[in-house]
Amino acid sequence: MRSFFFLRWPVADMFRLTSDPIVPTHRSDDQAGAFVTFKGRVRSRNGGRTVLRLEYEAYAEMALTEGNAMVGEAIERFGLVDAEIVHRIGLLEVGDTAVWVEVAAPHRREAFAAAEWLVDQLKWRVPIWKREIYAEGDSGWIGADAPPGGGKFEVEFGRRMTCLHEVGEAGARLLGEARVLIVGVGGLAVGALPALVGAGIGTIGLVDPDEVETSNLHRQTLFAAADVGRGKVERAAAFATRLRPGMRVETFPHALEATNADALIRAYDWIVDGTDSFAAKRLLNAVCRRHRKPLVTASVHRWEGQIMTVMPDGPCLACLFPQSPPEGCVGTCAEEGVYGGLVGLVGSLQATEVVKGILGMSILDREVLLVDLRTSDVTRLARTSRPDCEGCRGELPGSDDPLEVSRLEQAASRFGAYRVVDIREVGERPALAVPHLHIPMSRFDPPSGPMVLVCAHGVRSLVLAAELASLGIPAVSLRGGVSAHPELADAGPG
Amino acid sequence: MTVHVRYFAVLRERAGRERESVEIEPMTARELVDRLIRERGLGLPSPLIRIAVGGAFVEDGSVLADGDEIVLLPPVAGG
Repeated sequence: MRSFFFLRWPVADMFRLTSDPIVPTHRSDDQAGAFVTFKGRVRSRNGGRTVLRLEYEAYAEMALTEGNAMVGEAIERFGLVDAEIVHRIGLLEVGDTAVWVEVAAPHRREAFAAAEWLVDQLKWRVPIWKREIYAEGDSGWIGADAPPGGGKFEVEFGRRMTCLHEVGEAGARLLGEARVLIVGVGGLAVGALPALVGAGIGTIGLVDPDEVETSNLHRQTLFAAADVGRGKVERAAAFATRLRPGMRVETFPHALEATNADALIRAYDWIVDGTDSFAAKRLLNAVCRRHRKPLVTASVHRWEGQIMTVMPDGPCLACLFPQSPPEGCVGTCAEEGVYGGLVGLVGSLQATEVVKGILGMSILDREVLLVDLRTSDVTRLARTSRPDCEGCRGELPGSDDPLEVSRLEQAASRFGAYRVVDIREVGERPALAVPHLHIPMSRFDPPSGPMVLVCAHGVRSLVLAAELASLGIPAVSLRGGVSAHPELADAGPG
Repeated sequence: MTVHVRYFAVLRERAGRERESVEIEPMTARELVDRLIRERGLGLPSPLIRIAVGGAFVEDGSVLADGDEIVLLPPVAGG
């Protein structure tokens, strides 16, 4: 249905969404002497980044209702003859028309004013989000523009937070300048993300390669049933910018790996651990220490959670848990189950650590907090730094296998005193240059006390370490053997 | 003497109880854990279990005293 010249009243399709290229109606009306057309296009640069394409997403029902109401309001307010807005959704290339606004008025002055008013209102009122996809391969969701009238929305949004004695204007400014990275957009992020957005954190990064699954929903409640099969980081970003349109969300739909962790973590001020594997937690711990970034780490099991904050100079995760558990030793949510409300609580505690850390309040930097929702018990345990902790030095775990070490120093931190035992057969070269016992594997008789077993390539020593471990004898294998550790070899002849 | 032990997470499930009081001879924290691993079938290698006494984590060689409140904490990975 179109608006006819005698009908100056909002009708249903003055505001339209389309996933096809925009074809304006070019309404004409003899009462109108002035037509102003605004065309918004996808540009190739934004904030110093090279934009390859854009994705627009709308909350369609609300966008149509709000959009049509807005155009109707403009017609009344400016005495227009007619007005029309068409907005693209979906993927757009650079140069594509993203939005078309056309205003028909008796005279030019009202037409210009109404067109500008409509574009401002559109960005502020209508729930449409855009994701910029950059040349570097990453992307960022950008919410609606700050509302017209000097960021009134932002002021109102933050008022109850700023009122807190501990926050104030200065604290609110610190929170607004902060960049927080959430690694792993799962259950813990469900608690952390809304609390961080609500606290007014200016920029949030989200890292997760996965898509939303139905079995996630009971605890990952910032997603909706309709999100199943869609990327977690994108859906979480859409949630955040709906809550606070003016904020910045940066999305990385990749797994955290040793190869990308440094670059990701360096770019943020605080890191929130939302991962569900011990290997990922140890990697985060080490890389955060390396770059002196505070890390709030947590984990959950059925009804229980653990949370602690690792500051650059405080005790780290590896101080508390020097060894990674073997696979299958401690369960994941998938294997063990988890109460949905727990992750929201623990994640919210993680966000609170970040907020309090930014504000300079006391945090769990020398304690671990245990929460048990079955009994409603909360327990705080003091933790201290462990001497010679490789995690504190920012070193990646040399081996997550309790039977292996990648350096002799790791045996020191694991055992305290230990002996090096060369298990190669008589005549194998080169000899070891460090103090050691020589007990060939073919006639091995374990000495007393913890030991590091060394062979040529670390294979025989691993087999023997496993055998000794099954007998309750503390032994580890030097990974790679002498061939991987030339510094242990005697350089002399023979 | 008697010490009071609290189990967390997978340790509680394996021990089949949340707390218990244990009669012990004078011994270190780690010796107690090794004994409980055997008697309760905790199913984790001893070095993975962290021990807190009186609200703070302690070294393996820390000697237990009558009435100590002991918490045994396993690593937890879920998120």
